Amino acid sequence: MYKLTLCLKYLVNRGLAYFAMLGVAVCVFLMLVCVSVLTGFVDKIEVAAKGLFGDVVISSASLGGVGQYDELIRRIEKDVPAVEGASPFILTFGILRVPGTDFRRTVQVAGIRLPERATVSDFEKGLFVQAGLDQPTFDPCQPLVMQRLREDILRTDDILKAVNKAAPDGSLTPDQKGLVGRLRNALYYQDQAYIAFRDADATRKQFEDIEAKINAADEAGDDDKLQQLEAERAMVERDLILPPDRRAILGLGIAGLSFRTPKGEVVRVIGPGQQIVLSLIPLGRNVSYTNIIPVTRSFTVIDDCSTDVASIDSEIIYVPLETLQQLNNMDAEVAADDPNLMVQPARCSQIHIKVKPELSRGLALKKVARQIDAVVTTFLTDHPNAARSSVDVETWRERQGRLVNAIEAQRTLMILILGIISAVAVVLIFVILYVVVVQKTRDIGVLKAVGASNLGVAGIFLAYGGAIGMIGSIVGAVGGCFFVWNINPIHDWMARNFSFEVWNRETFMFEKIPNAVEADTVVWIVALAIIAGIFGSLLPGILAARRQPVEALRYE
Amino acid sequence: MSSPAPGIEVHGLHKSYKLGRTHLHVLQGVSFSIQSKEFVAVVGASGSGKSTLLHLVGLLDRMDKGTVKLDGVDVATLSRGKRNRMRCHDVGFVFQFYHLLPELSVLENALLPAKVDESVLGWIRHRGEHRAAAIEMLERVGLSERMKHRPKELSGGERQRVAIARALMNRPKFLLADEPTGNLDSRTGRQILQVLRTASQDIGQTVVMVTHDVALAAEADRVLHLRDGKLTK
Repeated sequence: MYKLTLCLKYLVNRGLAYFAMLGVAVCVFLMLVCVSVLTGFVDKIEVAAKGLFGDVVISSASLGGVGQYDELIRRIEKDVPAVEGASPFILTFGILRVPGTDFRRTVQVAGIRLPERATVSDFEKGLFVQAGLDQPTFDPCQPLVMQRLREDILRTDDILKAVNKAAPDGSLTPDQKGLVGRLRNALYYQDQAYIAFRDADATRKQFEDIEAKINAADEAGDDDKLQQLEAERAMVERDLILPPDRRAILGLGIAGLSFRTPKGEVVRVIGPGQQIVLSLIPLGRNVSYTNIIPVTRSFTVIDDCSTDVASIDSEIIYVPLETLQQLNNMDAEVAADDPNLMVQPARCSQIHIKVKPELSRGLALKKVARQIDAVVTTFLTDHPNAARSSVDVETWRERQGRLVNAIEAQRTLMILILGIISAVAVVLIFVILYVVVVQKTRDIGVLKAVGASNLGVAGIFLAYGGAIGMIGSIVGAVGGCFFVWNINPIHDWMARNFSFEVWNRETFMFEKIPNAVEADTVVWIVALAIIAGIFGSLLPGILAARRQPVEALRYE
Repeated sequence: MSSPAPGIEVHGLHKSYKLGRTHLHVLQGVSFSIQSKEFVAVVGASGSGKSTLLHLVGLLDRMDKGTVKLDGVDVATLSRGKRNRMRCHDVGFVFQFYHLLPELSVLENALLPAKVDESVLGWIRHRGEHRAAAIEMLERVGLSERMKHRPKELSGGERQRVAIARALMNRPKFLLADEPTGNLDSRTGRQILQVLRTASQDIGQTVVMVTHDVALAAEADRVLHLRDGKLTK
């Protein structure tokens, strides 16, 4: 019992112990923050990669892609029981324009199948209009779109009011004036989009009427009228809600189409209801590269999607798979002289595969990927025309290998550096305990005089060191958890007030700094700190235990 | 009628210390016996080996040669654990410089031997009894009003009383006092001696008190004189 009593008394009454606890707390805090953020970063990459591409990706080395993919998917789903779903995917590049503006930029154009896409990725989770729907489509019901647009208009209006309210006398700073201008511009486009949906049927009818008139004028050979009607048609066409095969889902983050307020609120400028124009070079079929003709199509934006991966969201546009196949010359090719003779089947550039959750990590996933690879190899042997170049089967981790390995190496390095720093805490505890043991030499003599054993005396100092480690690590862990959980508000606050921005969204790909703390991380860091505390107190404890009582009592 | 069994028997006790290259023969064949419940004073000049003798008898140190028997038990044959237990149960020490633990209150200092003797579970079970015993000891030495004070808030005499209460806590058979009044003025020293004597009589202890104060030693039942490591009478 004396061990506990004296350990507690020394903890409370020895100011030196607080310094040791502080040292341990700082080390635990740093370790927890670094490990949590970097582990969270790797986890985010995993979630993002799986969310985007599924667990396993089959990809063609050539732009020609993989043909007969539906049969390949059926075969994979049949032969590999671990597979939950698979979906074809096309990825190519294009130029995005917004009619009526001078906006243009290069983007990645992804061809996807909806709602099938939701079976292999978390695509549906990041949608704006179809948020919460398990079966997203390129043809969501009109009232839902209008409701979302109305909500968006109200939200933008609220932001505008809040900015104006901040300066009631109209004395806006140049930054605020710029923001007000952008918000008004966004409201204008949002209103236009809402009207386009509201009047969709009337506009469609108006368009069809003009088309009929054009036909009539054409037949009558009235060129002046024809010219006038075609100009009229072009005007009306811009307000049309195009059919489902001509609809697109924007990545939420394409510069110029949306922006963030200083408070981090997303404001859509060009969004659902607006028309965009995509131009791309069709490279899906063997063509003469001296004679490539770009293709251009208009699309109505029907939704937008945030994957939380800034580098993806800032440059991707999703369109229906079949539409992109046609634009990219990846659709089925028939013989020129015989429309029933298929020369080449429709193709996709990738197949994304979802694996059952219990098998979707580590070695189990690799095993599943090998099984899929075997099926693909057999399939390609059976169908030699399905792919004209090599086809790779990779897990998400293999595809992101360079990035994930780099971050994991960074994490290991961090742990190593922090481990070395933490060794300082061990030395600190050792020095402090040594000083305490020297200061308490007479007490040790007294304890031995009243019958305390060597082990008991050592136990006091080991428990003392362990308690310093435990209290310090708990304080550090609580502080670390609080910091990590609130790392984004803290970071934003620092950026706002001190222009000190560590997390650059462009560099780190993600919108938010990972802010999850894993329980086992906390447990092993706290356990290590306690062990370090005991380790630091080991030598002083042994020295105390080996003190001869007579020497200790005579100690001056 | 047979004489009472000796509580402490010392025979041919030798102890030397190495100081650099020289050996200091502090005790050179000391032999004596002390009856149970006897109050014996050991007097001698500084460096005569009084404290060393007390440490050997109290199992705080090991002799080079000779035997020490407490209640007939040869302490040299005891294992380290048994020596610890004997120090805890059978021997109480009072030191010249009190050696109270500054972090503990008066009551906690008095309770220390009981805490050394008990495990955490044992302490939970017997805490009340131990506290009552410690309070009784502190009342016996006249410190019932100062139980919550820290040693630094007490006078020298009061500190020594706490040390006596601590030495008596486990009701040991042997009370060994090393210059218990050496750090006190003569009036306080006499009071302390009186406290020591009364308390030990009440409990029925064998007391060995080392002192260089011949007048104080005269209060004992018997006086042993130690000079240059040998008993002279």
